[in-house]
Amino acid sequence: MESSILESIGVEIIGVMSPVSICMFLVVLLVYSLSSDDPFSSTDSTIRTAANLVYVENPSDSVSQKLEGALLNAVVFVILIAIVTFLLVLLYYYHCTNFLKYYMRFSAFFVFASMGGSIFLSLIQKFSIPVDSVTCLLLLFNFTIVGVLSVFAGGIPILMRQGYMVCLGIIVAAWFTKLPEWTTWVLLVALALYDLVAVLAPGGPLKLLVELASSRDEELPALVYEARPTVAPRNGGGGSALGLLITGVMEAEAESSSSSIELQAVSRDNVNENEGRGGGGNIDYSVVTMEDFRNEEIQSVRESEEERSPLVRNFREGQLSSADNGQRFDRREGEIAAEAMRRGGVEIADRGIKLGLGDFVFYSVLVGRAAMYDLMTVYACYLAIISGLGCTLILLSVCRKALPALPISIMLGVLFYFLTRLLMEPFIVGTATNLMMF
Amino acid sequence: MTVAAGIGYALIALGPSLSLFVSVISKKPFLILTVLSSTLLWLISLIVLSGIWRGFLPFSSSSSSSSWWPYAILILTSVAFQEALRLFFWKLYQKLEDMLDAFADRVSKPRLFLSDKMLIALAGGLGHGVAHAVFFCISLLTPAFGPATYFIDRCSQVPFFLLSAIIALAFVTIHTFSMVIAFNGYAEGNKVDQYFVPTVHIVAGMVTLVNWAPGGCSVGIPVLYLIAILTLIHCGRMVWRRLTENRIRPGHS
Repeated sequence: MESSILESIGVEIIGVMSPVSICMFLVVLLVYSLSSDDPFSSTDSTIRTAANLVYVENPSDSVSQKLEGALLNAVVFVILIAIVTFLLVLLYYYHCTNFLKYYMRFSAFFVFASMGGSIFLSLIQKFSIPVDSVTCLLLLFNFTIVGVLSVFAGGIPILMRQGYMVCLGIIVAAWFTKLPEWTTWVLLVALALYDLVAVLAPGGPLKLLVELASSRDEELPALVYEARPTVAPRNGGGGSALGLLITGVMEAEAESSSSSIELQAVSRDNVNENEGRGGGGNIDYSVVTMEDFRNEEIQSVRESEEERSPLVRNFREGQLSSADNGQRFDRREGEIAAEAMRRGGVEIADRGIKLGLGDFVFYSVLVGRAAMYDLMTVYACYLAIISGLGCTLILLSVCRKALPALPISIMLGVLFYFLTRLLMEPFIVGTATNLMMF
Repeated sequence: MTVAAGIGYALIALGPSLSLFVSVISKKPFLILTVLSSTLLWLISLIVLSGIWRGFLPFSSSSSSSSWWPYAILILTSVAFQEALRLFFWKLYQKLEDMLDAFADRVSKPRLFLSDKMLIALAGGLGHGVAHAVFFCISLLTPAFGPATYFIDRCSQVPFFLLSAIIALAFVTIHTFSMVIAFNGYAEGNKVDQYFVPTVHIVAGMVTLVNWAPGGCSVGIPVLYLIAILTLIHCGRMVWRRLTENRIRPGHS
């Protein structure tokens, strides 16, 4: 019996969804295990980052005060990100690629070592794991070095690279969950809007970056999660099953004849094409920007950086679409305050879909924030985000250009969070505690 | 210890669906997507229902035990809504089936087998069931991981978490397999199967009303399991019949 088509459809989507799910799940676990005992831990109140530069939220403030402050924070944060992204475009324009590359490596090292380290430290404290400082330091050092190598260097097994990517996402997201509640929500919405503008609007920084890179015909360094098909590559015609499915349906509706060849030709015309299909004659661009930001004690030094993603591939005929990812760090008074990885685009290529690491981070931030309320909101937000991601991917295979992955998912996630919290919880608790179910 | 208990409750409710998921669903990406979208659909239905009922909740839980009837209305409306949703899901599925068949022709693979159709129905049902278990049982489990447990007055022999896990298991079974029955009934135009599913759903919902009476859960839960087993048997016989028919007349369906 031949294998049915059920096994070949949706492989790419699952390839992206499963790491996102893992990332969210681990962040939720981390949030739970670290915050369950002392919900009023002091770190929550002392953390001060670029994301709450203007206003430090206080639980006793009035609602309007919180809203105003959170809005201000979000605006400042988004403006900072926009500035850094433009700086990045500028740097890239003047060919400072090496500088960007090395700086990005350094910052990845920094994330793994210091932020990851402090998370490990709190885990060790929480579960009272008996480990001495030398061992711990050695382990952390090894973890960090391998992490930086596997994220930026070639020749590392793809599974390990993906694992470290998810790890990076988890670490950053875990830091972001320490932001105060109102600021988090407003920030997420603001970032989703910014994402929309930066990728799609003419003159948007990320769009500029992608176009710049594609006009130079080089690859931008990427902090992108690549979902490569773990199964053996499908035979030639298989390209992207999803894209084929959807385009097939659209064609069927338009009653046009089969046009997979035509589609391919079109996709070559378009420089910014996102989806390659039909056996890989296309070139893929992956754009990721990593921006780094730090405020040392007196003045803030801003540096942005980007890095080539080592796309290890046997046959590199690929065309790519663009995913961008920005990451920024902020340091204040000698300690890392926060960092944000911004943005990602998603793309389908022959090798699978790419998703910016920033999307991982902010999805997980949303779910982690939901986890601080209740499990119910976690499930609702998870489902909303995953379905938003699914919608984005489907749109992607329809539009075939780089799309922002944040807006749909974040909007759905926020919507479902509040719907669940305000409407569903009293309903469920009211019926279930009376053992009434249906 | 309490962590173990919490995980245990969760596994009671979701263990069978988890093994079903791992052994059948997870190998076929499309089925995973089906599970996810059907879960989302159920969640949306729950949100809509709770939005409708939000104005009336919580019912004043006065001591008089005669106030069970608002819950009866609630369950009745909810079940009606969800059965309407099932019809909607069926319509969606039909569209999807056409798309899949067209796609299969395009890549010159065989069209959907009968077993594939049943698997899709199973995945859809599993999504509904899992959503039920997750929202009615798992999401209330958070306190179970803490250092105490919780008993409710009307059924004080067993902890509430265990009770809700057991009830959720029955509902997961009912939801999962009644979707298979329903889809098959729609496909065959079999009136009995089409009416069987809403009936089972509504009876099962009504049986949980028995829990309202003090000590009622010792009656209600066995009856609920009877219904679940009945659904299971019906589904098993129906699938067996279809498969054997199909084998005798290959290529017919």
